[in-house]
Amino acid sequence: MLAKRKRSITGEIKLSEANLNIDKLSNPTLTKKKKTSLWKIFKSEALFTIGSTPIIWQIIFFYIPLLILVATSLVKTSTSGQFIGLTLEHFYPLLNTTYLTIIFNSFGLSLVTTFLCLIIGFPLAYFIAFNGGRLKNVLLFLLLIPFWTNFILHIYAWFFVLEKHGFLNNLLLDLGLISSPLHFLNSTFSVLVMMVYFYLPFMVLPIFSSLERFNPLLLEASYDLGANHRQTLQKILLPLTLSAIRAGIFLVYIPSFGEFVIPELMGGDRNFFVGNVISLFILGEKTGPVGIAFTVLSTLCLLISLFFINRFFQYLSKKITGEA
Amino acid sequence: MSQFMRSIRLENVTKSKNGHLILNNVSLEIPSGEFFALLGPSGCGKTTLLRLIAGLETLDSGRILLGNKDISSQPAHKRKINVVFQNYALFPHLNVYDNVAYSLAIQSKPKDEIEYKVLKLLKAFHLNELIYKKPSELSGGQQQRVAIARAIINEPEVLLLDEPLAALDFKLREKLLIELIELQDKLLTTFVYVTHDQFEALTVADQMAIMNHQGNIAQIGTPKQIYEFPNSTFVAKFVGNTNIFTGSLEMLNEPRFTVPDLGTFSINPSIVKEKTIDPNKTTIMSIRPEKIYISKKPVENFSNTLTGIVSSIVYNGRSTFYEVLLNNKMKLQVFEQNEEHFPQETIDYDDRVFLCWQKENVVLLER
Repeated sequence: MLAKRKRSITGEIKLSEANLNIDKLSNPTLTKKKKTSLWKIFKSEALFTIGSTPIIWQIIFFYIPLLILVATSLVKTSTSGQFIGLTLEHFYPLLNTTYLTIIFNSFGLSLVTTFLCLIIGFPLAYFIAFNGGRLKNVLLFLLLIPFWTNFILHIYAWFFVLEKHGFLNNLLLDLGLISSPLHFLNSTFSVLVMMVYFYLPFMVLPIFSSLERFNPLLLEASYDLGANHRQTLQKILLPLTLSAIRAGIFLVYIPSFGEFVIPELMGGDRNFFVGNVISLFILGEKTGPVGIAFTVLSTLCLLISLFFINRFFQYLSKKITGEA
Repeated sequence: MSQFMRSIRLENVTKSKNGHLILNNVSLEIPSGEFFALLGPSGCGKTTLLRLIAGLETLDSGRILLGNKDISSQPAHKRKINVVFQNYALFPHLNVYDNVAYSLAIQSKPKDEIEYKVLKLLKAFHLNELIYKKPSELSGGQQQRVAIARAIINEPEVLLLDEPLAALDFKLREKLLIELIELQDKLLTTFVYVTHDQFEALTVADQMAIMNHQGNIAQIGTPKQIYEFPNSTFVAKFVGNTNIFTGSLEMLNEPRFTVPDLGTFSINPSIVKEKTIDPNKTTIMSIRPEKIYISKKPVENFSNTLTGIVSSIVYNGRSTFYEVLLNNKMKLQVFEQNEEHFPQETIDYDDRVFLCWQKENVVLLER
């Protein structure tokens, strides 16, 4: 009777067959038990090894050198390299307006770059994530293709665009917007163009991945409840992508603060930033310790600014979740 | 705002997406203050219809009227129509209070007015202990209540519900359905309930519309009309279970329905008159499984009788479902109430049974 009932419900499963399956299954599970525990230990060990390797790497090749750097900037040595005592004298030459202006300029450059990357990158990421459709991956791929080519090639490509008889000037002349070619190269403008061009993907990628996971129904729910586009952006979209925006801002802001290749090649000799000064001092004769001191000083400034940016985001997210 | 303002009229609404025609010239009137259910198989365009009413998608042609005002070109945030989304779409970064207060906060209403309204509503929804919880900390039923509260706080003219109970378990669903009916009774807002689940639609609806795969409305009526008098094979099969016989109708002094290899059955003349079916064409006769009486002994006083062999039995608690193999190899479905602890006869597999029904209890369908 029982066997018959079973057949009637599913129509296919027979009791005898079900029994057979249970027998087949029970044996391997028993033998597997021992293996599983050994495998588990191996797995956790392996994970530990894999996980700890980069940490050790970081300590040896980043934190220890950083400490050496800080120590060097504070140490006075004789000409033969012997330790004499602690000193702040390497910092003295830096306490003049020229260097402080350079640090200030670097802040300006990285902030403007970050800001431009954000206002260009967010709509771009939004477009790719929500309107990309089947082309989504292709568009993302196109964004990353420039990374495949050599960096110096990029810069030369931009030379052709920005030079006196280059693409941009010709275009503007043809459109009748200007009467004589403008001076683009070797200016803050060309530096900014190149900076934004290079750092844009670092902003787009984290925001894109956050928007891709974003449920578009939330936007519709917001419109449905009476919010217009601006209110929806402000109350739903930005709060929910805030952490990705922060990640993007850090990814652009930190490296662009120390960037020295782009200003060096695109900025001419009037555009001097932290990176250029450091390379000049460290490569120069006898100026090594001052260069190191400058590095320490600018790193300190960067850390302080990061602290404030982080605080700002904490304040933002608190404000967003605190009140609707 | 008068009651009349809450009716919705769709006139010749057409919509296609990616080259597929989703809604084909749909006209529909949803009366003011009714609980209206829109039932259809998955992918029939019922959600699209709801999104069009909400303003989340634009029409290809036709128009939508709320009361007597054309709202076809009004954007979603200007319509006094709110949606309870499938899977709720609660704002994950806001707590229960802020989720419910959202539409009021958007209008920059005074803080104490918002607080008064929200707390009152949350209390009515038994959510007042959860106001600081985030949506992710709530159970499915609680999330659903928050979604409804969020949608009705602004007193919309029409509330659209898109499969609101699909993610919940059966017991909870039954309970929430009753709550929804009570809520609608209290608010007198027009509710449009979209579902693919016939049980939900039959339970809640004052009136319901059935949509078919061609993007058309197949039938509109009360749940009873739809279930007892479906106007097509599609509706008969989609709403509830039914047994379909294909055969031909003869009009002698009494109408008779002949199924090849099976027999001839008498039909109530009023059914034929009502339907005005062409006797020359093949016709379909539909009988609901619960309208058939099953017994091992022949039963008197029934107009039609068939015999068959029991091929499967599924005991469901309140009823038992039988499948009986007929002479023409067709399987007939029969539902029998389990009325007694100790029934006089037990029907088992391979038993020969008599199946009887009254001639009034069938429906004749074209095609």
